[in-house]
Amino acid sequence: MSGAPRTSGPALVPGLLPHTVELGCEFGPLLLKSPLLAASGCFAYGQQFAAFTDLRALGGLSTKGISPLPRHGNPLPRICETAAGMLNSIGLENVGVEAFVRDKLPFLRDLGISVWVNFFGTDFATYIECARLLGGAPGVDVLEMNISCPNIKQGGIEFGTVPEVAHRLTRACVEVSGAPIVVKLTPNAGDIVGMADAVRQAGAMGVSLINTITGMAIDVRSRRPRIATTYGGLSGPAIKPIALRMVHQVATALPGLPICGMGGVLSGEDALEFLMAGAGCVQIGTANFAEPGAVQRITAELRALMAELGLRRVADAVASLRPWPLEAAYQTPAAGEFST
Amino acid sequence: MTAAQFEARVAANTRLGGGYFSLELEAEEPTPVAAARPGQFVMLRGAWGRELLNPRAFSVLHAEGKRLTILAKAYGQGTRRMWALRPGEPMTVTGPLGVGFPDPDPEITDLLVAGGVGLPPLHMQARVAAAAGLAGKQELFYGGRDREDLVLLADFERWGVAATLATEDGSVGVRGYVTTALAPRLEQARAAGERVRVLSCGPTPMLVAVRQIGLAHEVQTLLCLEENMACGFGVCLGCAVPVHGVKPYRYCCTDGPVFDARELRWP
Repeated sequence: MSGAPRTSGPALVPGLLPHTVELGCEFGPLLLKSPLLAASGCFAYGQQFAAFTDLRALGGLSTKGISPLPRHGNPLPRICETAAGMLNSIGLENVGVEAFVRDKLPFLRDLGISVWVNFFGTDFATYIECARLLGGAPGVDVLEMNISCPNIKQGGIEFGTVPEVAHRLTRACVEVSGAPIVVKLTPNAGDIVGMADAVRQAGAMGVSLINTITGMAIDVRSRRPRIATTYGGLSGPAIKPIALRMVHQVATALPGLPICGMGGVLSGEDALEFLMAGAGCVQIGTANFAEPGAVQRITAELRALMAELGLRRVADAVASLRPWPLEAAYQTPAAGEFST
Repeated sequence: MTAAQFEARVAANTRLGGGYFSLELEAEEPTPVAAARPGQFVMLRGAWGRELLNPRAFSVLHAEGKRLTILAKAYGQGTRRMWALRPGEPMTVTGPLGVGFPDPDPEITDLLVAGGVGLPPLHMQARVAAAAGLAGKQELFYGGRDREDLVLLADFERWGVAATLATEDGSVGVRGYVTTALAPRLEQARAAGERVRVLSCGPTPMLVAVRQIGLAHEVQTLLCLEENMACGFGVCLGCAVPVHGVKPYRYCCTDGPVFDARELRWP
């Protein structure tokens, strides 16, 4: 079929002026100033970035994961760079609920951006305790429930990979939390749609997709794993295609469930891919390490790109993916039908 | 001065032999790195696209106004690319970061123990001391594998800083480790009632040895460490350093890179 067009590209749209693009958007019950947030574990508790950048320009941020008691983290080496990514096994080091609410939360509350507090426990009781204490703290807009960190040994695996367990855990936390709960899922789950559906039915407001993917790197000279715990979480652009696929799968199967997409976003175009795949907002993680102003730069890029593509509002982009055409001309002929 | 991230361009990239190079960068305007103290560092990243994500940490060798210089050795993927940089090529700089060495003290002799590419913080300490008329209170102990591992020696000569050199192959100075010369010098200081302290930077096995010698002689020993770090400003928590105390770790980037030897939970 030599005459068939190879693509049916987007109709030419009149470009917009960037300042007319409206980045403010809804995410479930939330109103965000921008769909771009800083991701958990990559932004600490925010203060370190204040020296470099205006935090009020962010749509929001997700804190380092908080547990009921402080944790000291894993032995070193804890991180290593890999192709287009990095492995980490920090071990969920954090100051604990009490110090977080006392020392860190007031600073975040005063920024006027969406404050997502990432939290985790090591068993049902500690998850629920965390959800109760943090979900009732003033200034917390969302509890982002981490059931997906690869870097703790006790119990963590089934919370993030067995839908029935995730369902029960989510329900118990939703019942005690004064703030909506977004559950952060792991790509290591076998059935990502089943996991998202399980936590949705348990009352989760939305899901964050995806946490890091378990990986490994080896130093052949010392013959040792490059991080002390052998396996760590892979992040960065290396995981972006996997993250996009999972966002798209969940968005397609569970329309209406708010999805916060993340995984290797380094540019406005990356962020727009996540929105088009079905994410209502996007978190930026690893990029913050090299560039403390990454979220602001990516926000400006997203605004410019949306203007260029004639997308006036975030909602115009979300889940706006167009399928490849189904006309016969584009389909592979059955065996024997095609000859040269 | 507060750290900042800014763009700079390569002003000069001088190959010193043995894979060593000094890279001089120039920004559009004076940078906060000009206020860097010996031991403070910058994070550097080139136009590396998506393959190499993270910047690399380098001690500041020298900085003034718009310019800053680092010393590096082509070793991994980042430093090999930096070795090949040409004048005009861009680099993103974040700094100055971390906590450096204390100022030179007219009452104390600094014994600067450097291994290979660990020279820069000690080089800057000697420069600062010389500018303050305290070159006589600085002594360099500099070791490497061979002749090519010992760079920038002419600077110490110009400043009038005494240097004891050691190479593993014996091509320059005494044969063996630089730490071999340290213990006798500390004995001598003790016998003479001379106040000394040890400032050191280099490969970790050398720092372990320096620490043990310093502790054994009950001399203040300050070690400038290097750890993998993704950010350099206290966020990634990758550069944990094991310490004694209430908490098991402190951070190379924000608590260091200079640590007191007594504090480290090391062999």
